[in-house]
Amino acid sequence: MKKQKRVFLHSGEEGHLSDLRRGQKCVVLDFHNDNAALRRRLLDMGITKGVVIEIKKFAPLGDPVDIRLRGYELCIRKVDMEGIDVRVL
Amino acid sequence: MKLALLGNQNSGKTSLFNALTGSNQKVGNWPGVTIDRVEGVIKKSNATIVDLPGVYSLSPYTSEEEISRRFVLEEKLDLIINIVDATSLERSLYLTTQLLELDVDLIIALNMYDLVKKKGININLKKLEEELGVTIIPISAKTGVGINRLKTRILNRRYKKNKHKKIYPTDVEAFIQEVEREYKYVKNNKNGKFHKRFGAVKILEGDRDYRILTDANLKVKKQSLEANYNMDGEQLVASLRYDYIVKVRKNTVKYKPHQETKTEKVDKIFLNKYFAIPLFILIMAIVYFISISLIGGLTSSLISAGFNGAEHLTIYIGTYPIVFETGTIGLGPLLANWLTSVGASSWAISLLTNGVIAGLSAVLSFIPQLIMLFICLSILETTGYMSRISFFLDRVFHKIGLSGKSLIPFIVGAGCSIPGIMSTRTIEDESEKKATIALVSFVPCSAKLPIISLVSSVFFTRWGFAFALLFYIMSILIIFALAFILRRLIKRKEHSTFISELPSYKAPSGKYIARDVADKTIAFIKRAGTVVVFFSVIVCLLISFNWRFEPVTNVENSMLRDIGNAFGWFFYPMLGGHWNWAASVCSIQGLIAKEQVVSSIEVIMAAGGGEVFAFFTPLTAFAFATFNLFSIPCIGTIATMRAELKSTKKTLLVILMEIIVAWFIASFIGMWGALL
Ligand SMILES: Nc1nc2c(ncn2[C@@H]2O[C@H](COP(=O)(O)OP(=O)(O)O)[C@@H](O)[C@H]2O)c(=O)[nH]1
Ligand SMILES: [Mg+2]
Repeated sequence: MKKQKRVFLHSGEEGHLSDLRRGQKCVVLDFHNDNAALRRRLLDMGITKGVVIEIKKFAPLGDPVDIRLRGYELCIRKVDMEGIDVRVL
Repeated sequence: MKLALLGNQNSGKTSLFNALTGSNQKVGNWPGVTIDRVEGVIKKSNATIVDLPGVYSLSPYTSEEEISRRFVLEEKLDLIINIVDATSLERSLYLTTQLLELDVDLIIALNMYDLVKKKGININLKKLEEELGVTIIPISAKTGVGINRLKTRILNRRYKKNKHKKIYPTDVEAFIQEVEREYKYVKNNKNGKFHKRFGAVKILEGDRDYRILTDANLKVKKQSLEANYNMDGEQLVASLRYDYIVKVRKNTVKYKPHQETKTEKVDKIFLNKYFAIPLFILIMAIVYFISISLIGGLTSSLISAGFNGAEHLTIYIGTYPIVFETGTIGLGPLLANWLTSVGASSWAISLLTNGVIAGLSAVLSFIPQLIMLFICLSILETTGYMSRISFFLDRVFHKIGLSGKSLIPFIVGAGCSIPGIMSTRTIEDESEKKATIALVSFVPCSAKLPIISLVSSVFFTRWGFAFALLFYIMSILIIFALAFILRRLIKRKEHSTFISELPSYKAPSGKYIARDVADKTIAFIKRAGTVVVFFSVIVCLLISFNWRFEPVTNVENSMLRDIGNAFGWFFYPMLGGHWNWAASVCSIQGLIAKEQVVSSIEVIMAAGGGEVFAFFTPLTAFAFATFNLFSIPCIGTIATMRAELKSTKKTLLVILMEIIVAWFIASFIGMWGALL
């Protein structure tokens, strides 16, 4: 598998949560994943429209990612972050 | 009075449960983390309290969370103690908003209150209580502050009634109330009597467990709500709950501007790109060195000598042997002497000393190392390091079809496979969960430690530690290889997920760990003490009698020999081409409990004077140990596996896989040894 060069988003741009760099903050716009159970879980963990998320750190092997929202930290895999649309703050 | 303890993971439920119940725990849970519900009685009262697995919401995601949801919805409860982590209020109150919709009263135990000031958080308790309409008692389950106040409030029933605080905007609220009136749609539990409001909200969410709307009028109303808010019902409810919480939080809580926390500083080292994995390996090596090599080497020969007596006592510190002259004192020989003096028959003496005492000593001699292992694991668990391990190893595990959360079952499995398998319930993905269940028993559990210790200390005296390590490396390699194969065999529905909270680091609490370790150790002794002694006596009977039930003095004439002989062919290759009945007997014994393998060896050795095993070379002993480590687990583990896989067929397949894998590896080592 060829490693795709990652394109990072800049402030004000829209994209997926998985395309952010460490330390960047964004606001959630919508979901577009079709895994119902995952969607439910993300909602329950507080990833709702309008919530602000900060990328805290990446695991030493690059995945999963530690994000901060609603005053706590959550670990989530990059694939699952792809289904979350955001606008970078 | 019946109470349930409900809260997020790591909110301090177990700590509070222990503080409230003291030693009045009624049903001991499995040794391991809180997995099933555990019941206890509040001190000096008749109030029963149930500690449930942690949940973030009443929409279950893992099978573990399903236990909590079903319990809350189906059981008739007098009160729910909602334990809320004061340091992450916003996320914790999400569950509270759902509990407020149930037809059960609740009281909030605002835990971790000792940390609130330190973290610069200022909570206006009175205002928060008013806003939520719930009685709030600030506590610290760790230091004990506020526990008595909580207890008296509960027992005197001095708490606010649940008036179903309205948290939604008026249009949504109107819709929910209309569904509530049309109660025929709502079905929560068997008798369908409770939790009308909760059910109505579930219908708005479109929850699959609830009836969908058939009423045309309500259907239209739901669609117009969804259009107004530009979200589907499920998103809408979650968003509105959080909107409400944010509003409450803004009115009642003040935070100091964010500074770098201790957790962030510590994580800079433990989650560092370069240090994380070496540190992890170092920590694990220390844990096993302390518990197995140091403590194990120090105490097991002591205890065994105390029971059985020994001319010399050799203690290994690392690889240095220290020899003491002791003479044959010991419980077994003393008892035997006394029995002979009162004229007991020789087989009765043998039954007691070689059966009961030898069996007991084999089990008890590794209790100290087990306790040490449990202490280490408990520290790793409660400090929050275990969550970090699954965080940074997820990538590796995910590649081979497991989850980062598989590591916890494996580590717990190093103590005992049973709680290890049970702790797989926290893994969201079914196929990752099944693969983990199938692989947990490949981790040498503490009952297998005597096998490892015996082989590595008897045959590899100087390099005992290195050989002990070799068994673990072998187990890791087998697990990785099999996981890779299983990934292809187990069908998967959707791609798996890993979502887990990263809790902040906590100083370990001595009291918590002591209790945790005591529970696990007692559970282990109970199991081993009964099962193992029972079967040790049986082996001893089989060894002391022939088929006509006449006492025999020579093992070669006993029943046991014939039974072992019947399975001799199976062990032939791994023993390097030796036909030996004793080896098969010991392995069959291991089915009952793995502790049995070594205690049978000791029982047979005691009866046969050691000659039966004289043919063992280091390599065949190694092969034999390998087989016993990785083949069929004990009966208890099989039963647990069956319960968690919910399929007899799959369980049998796993067992078959284990026998085949173990047999081939062991036979290979044995034959290779014979060729050398
Ligand atoms: N500082 C502090 N730590 C606590 C308190 N309550 C629990 N803990 C710690 O939080 C961790 C998780 O607690 P536990 O009772 O296992 O939570 P559970 O997962 O909800 O059962 C443990 O390390 C506890 O020692 C508290 O009030 N204050
Ligand atoms: Mg617990």
